[in-house]
Amino acid sequence: MNIENTASQMRKGVLEFCILSVIKQGEAYPSDIIEKMKAANLNIFEGTLYPLLTRLKNAELLTYRWIESNSGPPRKYFSLTEKGAAFYTELEATWNELANAVKALTENEHPNT
Amino acid sequence: MKQVININFHGQVVPIETSAFDMLKLYTESLNRFFAQEEGKEEIINDIETRIAELFQERLKKGATCITDDDVQAIINSMGRPEDFETEEPSSSSEQPKAAPTATESTSTEGPKRLYRNENDKVLGGVCSGLANYFGIDPVIVRVLFAVIAIAFGAGVLAYIILWIAVPSTAQTRIGGAQKKLFRDPDDKIIGGVSSGLGNYFGVNPWIARILFLLPFMTFIFQGSNWGIDDAGDFIRVSFSPGSLLLYIILWIVIPEAATTSEKLAMKGEKVDLNSIKNSVMEEMKGVQSRAEKFGKEAQKIAEEKGQQLGADVNQFAKRSSTSLGDIIVIIFKVFGYFIVGVVAFALVVALFSLAIVAVGIFPAKAFLLTDGWQNAYAWGTLVFFIGVPVVGIITWIIRRLTKQKRYSRFLALTFSSLWIIGWVAVMLLVSSISRDFKSFNTLSEQEIPLTNPTINKLEITANEPGKHVYRTKFLRFEPFEGLDEDTLLVKNVEVKILKSTNDSFRVTRIVRTNGRTRRFADTLAAEINYNIRQFDSVLILDRGIAITRENKFRNQRVIITIYVPVGKQIRVDRSIGWAHNVRFGGLFNESEWDVQFEDEEDGWRADQDYIMRGDGLYHLDGRKANRWEDDDDARVSVKPGRIEVEENGKKVIIDQNGVEVKPIDGGTYRYQPGTVAPSAPTAPAAPTNEAAERERIKDSIRKEKEKLDQQLKQLEQKTEPMPEAVGTLLMHVRTPFPIF
Repeated sequence: MNIENTASQMRKGVLEFCILSVIKQGEAYPSDIIEKMKAANLNIFEGTLYPLLTRLKNAELLTYRWIESNSGPPRKYFSLTEKGAAFYTELEATWNELANAVKALTENEHPNT
Repeated sequence: MKQVININFHGQVVPIETSAFDMLKLYTESLNRFFAQEEGKEEIINDIETRIAELFQERLKKGATCITDDDVQAIINSMGRPEDFETEEPSSSSEQPKAAPTATESTSTEGPKRLYRNENDKVLGGVCSGLANYFGIDPVIVRVLFAVIAIAFGAGVLAYIILWIAVPSTAQTRIGGAQKKLFRDPDDKIIGGVSSGLGNYFGVNPWIARILFLLPFMTFIFQGSNWGIDDAGDFIRVSFSPGSLLLYIILWIVIPEAATTSEKLAMKGEKVDLNSIKNSVMEEMKGVQSRAEKFGKEAQKIAEEKGQQLGADVNQFAKRSSTSLGDIIVIIFKVFGYFIVGVVAFALVVALFSLAIVAVGIFPAKAFLLTDGWQNAYAWGTLVFFIGVPVVGIITWIIRRLTKQKRYSRFLALTFSSLWIIGWVAVMLLVSSISRDFKSFNTLSEQEIPLTNPTINKLEITANEPGKHVYRTKFLRFEPFEGLDEDTLLVKNVEVKILKSTNDSFRVTRIVRTNGRTRRFADTLAAEINYNIRQFDSVLILDRGIAITRENKFRNQRVIITIYVPVGKQIRVDRSIGWAHNVRFGGLFNESEWDVQFEDEEDGWRADQDYIMRGDGLYHLDGRKANRWEDDDDARVSVKPGRIEVEENGKKVIIDQNGVEVKPIDGGTYRYQPGTVAPSAPTAPAAPTNEAAERERIKDSIRKEKEKLDQQLKQLEQKTEPMPEAVGTLLMHVRTPFPIF
């Protein structure tokens, strides 16, 4: 098994959740999202982000509006829809469940090793 | 110094180096391909390009005069290459087969798809990989298919050459083509993971592949006799049974195991497009490098060996090229030598394959040939190691060549050669063991077969159908094995000889001959041969073959039937007796010479024709003599030193030093001898002293001849006196009364 690949698979799973949580904190521009995630030590490529955003938008979880920029073309600022908010709470519950489970499992393992 | 161009990139004017522009173009193309299947593809690309434009503006605002290679590289790194995108591809999550996106991808980007020969991935002319590209499958598959067709039918070669000529080559390669790859699946394996790998590749349940492989072991289902179909069963059995296991083993050896995750993903068809585009540059470079290194090492080794040899030749040639034409000839001879070696090697391969086919075909008869125990083990050893191993080895080698695999080749070579040595040992043991079983003969004796009606005018000889249903192989039949079932092997070692009877009734005798470990053992075996001859009215019915049981074993049992035909009576041999060479006439045989005795007359017989016995042998009813020239209506002239023979329909004229001898069709000899009529006739002037003695000798032999002819005449008139021997023997004396100089 390739560790890098496993790690990326794991990240792939929580990526949508992370993005939604960043956007939930307020209207966000993609490079803001990247920055915030980078600050949280979660590196992703912009090329990964854009398709995800589009997909979430197409699923009507996100909406955006154009905002003029003084450096280059206008920017898309994303925000959660109502449906997106509901989706987020659901994901959050799942995540907490999962995190607890993982935590319980890994902690359980520690004394043995 | 680089050229800078201005481009309009999402409404922004961007000055950019041409090389950087090319890079950018490739990148956007790769994105296009990557998101080809994605819903909202335009929007995503648009977003990314907008972002790139924004980053360009930032660069330019910071004071850069133009966008350089490094800038584009940095942007690409920050955006990520398609293979880095941690996006969930719809094509990977759903079970969509791989071929579809590839096809749509190329059609969407560049119009109608065309078939090219792939110059970048080729073994010979790139036909296979071109086809693979076209149909979106792994080139290895196409190559294996071509190889199989080429071996089986020869048509593959032709097809390949035609495609090579007809299909244009890819001048510039299209990026991409990283299709789903064929790997063995180590995670879901029962034996070698071949079936699950195939299942992955074709997007089907691995059990389908497994059942296909297992089919031959369930031949019962397909055996025609179980369903009342006679012919279908054989075909399936013959075509699948040895093939399946062999195929599995070959695929096991040839298909690499999916060891790394990326290989596993490639096996399952995931990550297909991501790998294909920009990755091709990076990965390809890496791959090429390592492959080149590996190849370099091996090539170096081979080159060192061959090079020394060839180098020596070339050196020698170069040194002396000014003087000698001889060296050129030597080199030409060497080239021819290699050519001949190649041809011989090819012939060996062909021979081996046919041996394998023969062995598989003859194997059911094994139980009738071998004693149990060690001999059986030797036979298996021979089949598996001596024949099987090289066949598998050669096929493996060919496929490995085709798939350009270089790994483990040394290990394989070692394994194959050591297994083959075991095979050789098995063969030698088997051969020596069997030859011991065939060492001795039985005591030959002629048994009289009582006839119910020996004085009939015409005897017809026919062979009966085998008493019970005997399984006959449809595809492989070997003389003398006529048929085979669970407990009986029918051997068609039956010979019929036709001789002249000494009295006026038909006589039939039987001689049984067999090999065996000892003479005594052969005698018991001969006694156990059950071969029936019966007469019904004018028909003599012979068994079609000798039935050999598993207990008795095949020890080259033979039955020689001699039919003595009285003068003036007719005989006819039915076609069912077998091939012409099973029936012979004339002559006698004894224990030591029995199988070389009749060579002269061998070709003369025809089935389903009436013959009549006369004083000097068999004749057709129309008066032609039945002899070896039977099929020849023209006169036959043979010229030898000192002798000319002309023969037509049994009439014969011989001209030699002793004169002219005429043999008309009804026997007897007329001779014109210049020596006796005209004593002064030219004889050899070199030996005049011998003339008198020679004349005496001739006179003597004529006198003897006369006596014999008189005796014969007398016998024919009396018709009762027993003849000392068959007429054939007598004739032979008549024919060569005079020495040939």
